[in-house]
Amino acid sequence: MSEQKEGCCTTGAGAGDTCCGSGAPTLIVACSGGSNAGQVSNGIMIELDRKGLGNAYCLAGIGAALSGFIESAKAARTVVVDGCPTGCAKKAFEKYGIEPSLYFVVTDLGVTKAHNFDKLPEETDVALKAVLEKL
Amino acid sequence: MKKIQILGTGCAKCMKLTENAEKAARDAGVEFEIEKIQNINDIMNYGVMITPALAVDGVVKSVGKVLSVEEIKKFL
Repeated sequence: MSEQKEGCCTTGAGAGDTCCGSGAPTLIVACSGGSNAGQVSNGIMIELDRKGLGNAYCLAGIGAALSGFIESAKAARTVVVDGCPTGCAKKAFEKYGIEPSLYFVVTDLGVTKAHNFDKLPEETDVALKAVLEKL
Repeated sequence: MKKIQILGTGCAKCMKLTENAEKAARDAGVEFEIEKIQNINDIMNYGVMITPALAVDGVVKSVGKVLSVEEIKKFL
């Protein structure tokens, strides 16, 4: 998770009833899986956070059924990035009835799934550009 | 004994949620204690990214809302 900007609020602040004023915060979740595509999803999440477009968030917390993670994902605007069409991140959300606000699959963004990491920076750049065009 | 936890750094909305939680527990006749979790790192350790949040016995029930007394009663 990225640094807190002020008080108890995340970047972008919260909805009207929160401590933080207007506009739901954006949480960015990646599958971060064990392939190049999964790691590209992780790289996209980090870059979107660095650009101030939301807060990187832990899919593992949702997968582990931790109540705070699930309820936060329900309350926020969410950008979900899966590596491949298996769609683990999206399915983890669906398990709790959460529909991502925006959804991306890395293999739809010009990256071919493989189990090597030789071209990770280049692949991340390609997929990130495609995501940024759609945000 | 229910442990009602209010997660938030202590703004007016956190205090309102605390007040509503106390009233809900009293109305429901539940034996309770209130714990205020105000440290940002402690709040984030619950995975909570929007406050105020309400947890009961360590389980987060609501995030980013000042729940009404009636809404809180359903969690007790």
